[in-house]
Amino acid sequence: MEPRLWAASPFSTDVHPILESRQRLTLYLMAWLPIAAILIAVLKRGFESWPEATLVIAPMSLLYAFMCLSAWYVCLAAPMRDQTALRVLTTLSIASVLSSGVWFAAGEVWVLSIEPWANFPGLSERYTLQFTPLFLNGVLLFLLAAAVHYLLITIDASRGVEKRALELQVLAREAELKALRAQIDPHFLFNSLNSISALTMSDPQGARSMCLLLADFLRTSLVLGSKQQIPISEELRLVEGFLSIEKVRYGKRLSIVRNVDPACDGCLVPPLLIQPLVENAIRHGIARLIDGGAVRLEVQREGQAIEILLENPVDPHGEVTPQKGAGLGLENVKSRLARLFPGQANVNVLRDEGRFQVRLRFPCIRLGETQ
Amino acid sequence: MKPLRLVIADDEDLARSLVREFLKDSLDLEIVAECRNGFEAVKAVTELKPDLLLLDIQMPRLDGFEVLELIERETNVIFITAYDQYAIRAFDVHAIDYLLKPFSAERLSEALDRARKKIDRGEPTTTAALAAEARPPGTRADRILIRDGGDVHVVPMARIDYVEAQDDYVCFRAEGKRYLKQQTLADVETVLDPTRFVRIHRSYILNVERLAKLELYAKDSHAAILRDGTRLPVSRSGYSRLNTMIG
Repeated sequence: MEPRLWAASPFSTDVHPILESRQRLTLYLMAWLPIAAILIAVLKRGFESWPEATLVIAPMSLLYAFMCLSAWYVCLAAPMRDQTALRVLTTLSIASVLSSGVWFAAGEVWVLSIEPWANFPGLSERYTLQFTPLFLNGVLLFLLAAAVHYLLITIDASRGVEKRALELQVLAREAELKALRAQIDPHFLFNSLNSISALTMSDPQGARSMCLLLADFLRTSLVLGSKQQIPISEELRLVEGFLSIEKVRYGKRLSIVRNVDPACDGCLVPPLLIQPLVENAIRHGIARLIDGGAVRLEVQREGQAIEILLENPVDPHGEVTPQKGAGLGLENVKSRLARLFPGQANVNVLRDEGRFQVRLRFPCIRLGETQ
Repeated sequence: MKPLRLVIADDEDLARSLVREFLKDSLDLEIVAECRNGFEAVKAVTELKPDLLLLDIQMPRLDGFEVLELIERETNVIFITAYDQYAIRAFDVHAIDYLLKPFSAERLSEALDRARKKIDRGEPTTTAALAAEARPPGTRADRILIRDGGDVHVVPMARIDYVEAQDDYVCFRAEGKRYLKQQTLADVETVLDPTRFVRIHRSYILNVERLAKLELYAKDSHAAILRDGTRLPVSRSGYSRLNTMIG
């Protein structure tokens, strides 16, 4: 969905609230039918007969119905929200007086043009005498129209706000889904499914345990991914799950050397901090080596800090430039640690012939402690 | 009917065993080699000349596209991949068959049938443009692959001193060694990093990092002296290209 959230301002200046739909225009014009009838009834006394009054007033009402649509521009020029009541009233008064005057003059033209053939002698004199009631009615009707426009604009604006709130909700939901998708590398998922497919014949037990491992890993990463911080032991459990799946895929090519200091147990880390690094180590390291190698993971306590070391062999004849995927994952780790431990987190990357090493160092904070 | 001779190239044992499993009852097929990496695949194709290669894209040392580049027009290829958006788009464009992991036995035999028909018609499978299109944007190949019989030399671009045209071949000079490849110099020029390599002459492309100095030896005529003392001719247009590059 296009995020055109800011295009629709609360006062949408691009569409007339009545002209925007045929339905609204029809309703508006129908509302003018009783108005025209009342006008005829009120002004009938000043004319000779019903037909005469109708012949003059009915077309004038229709004309004024359209003229009053221009009240919208007045509403735009004097939005109630930002202008003082005095300014709004002044603007409205001037506009209504002007439009009523124009209306009366237009009526005069109409009367003069029908007089020769309409067989109502003295019509124009009678019309001129009706100036005061016509003019007053014109002013009142214009003000009424302006009120209706203000009302419609307000209703539309509040609907717009509601719609935007909904759109925002949808966007937030989408972002969440995207984040979840990003956590799970499609390569990893499809290759694991392929391993399961291969195991079903040769090793049904193995296939089942691979299914369980995969399900467990996916579930855990979804649950952990929605949290702000988790104890490092949970993150390490996720890493173990991930490694056991990859072990099925790579077999002898993948070995793991771990060294985890139990003193680090309760330290908090942002979720999915280490797992993506391990994933990189396999994808850009082990997977590109014919005979594979060992991924080394060390988690040590150093005073108040925790230090995580991840090392993997890389193809010395391979690309010399750092891999884009790995680079992105590392940037992500850096920015997350920097946000969580401003000025106290350290990320070191070392690459030499045949070896890639990432070292993370940040304060160890336990549940319930604050910095 | 002559059995189809097949080579499987996939670095995962399980993935290869799955293909073997699917094909174990097919009488019209013979798996002549199983390869665990790109080097083995190139070697197997060169030496065994199979009818068909089942080629995984993600492999160590040489990936599927590099294998394709090295064995071009010799073998029909069915690609296998788990997930490569760019590659899949490129396969669709060039009508190359591919299998997405995990795939079924039916899908595999369908691909094999199609390949057999293609082989019977004698259609070539591969196109040179494919590999370039299939790579994600912004990932330029940073090495030159040269096949020498069944062996493959991998020469990182940074180690190349200069490239020289020699009849139908180009000769890459890197760290005192020469590698011959059947290609045109113009083709080489398109794959080399333009911030480092410059065409200085009809027959020469130079890695500017190796340049020691430029000598004027006749009117309008220059020679490039490399760090190791090699002299290369520089044409007039080559001289202006070189000048714009090194400022």
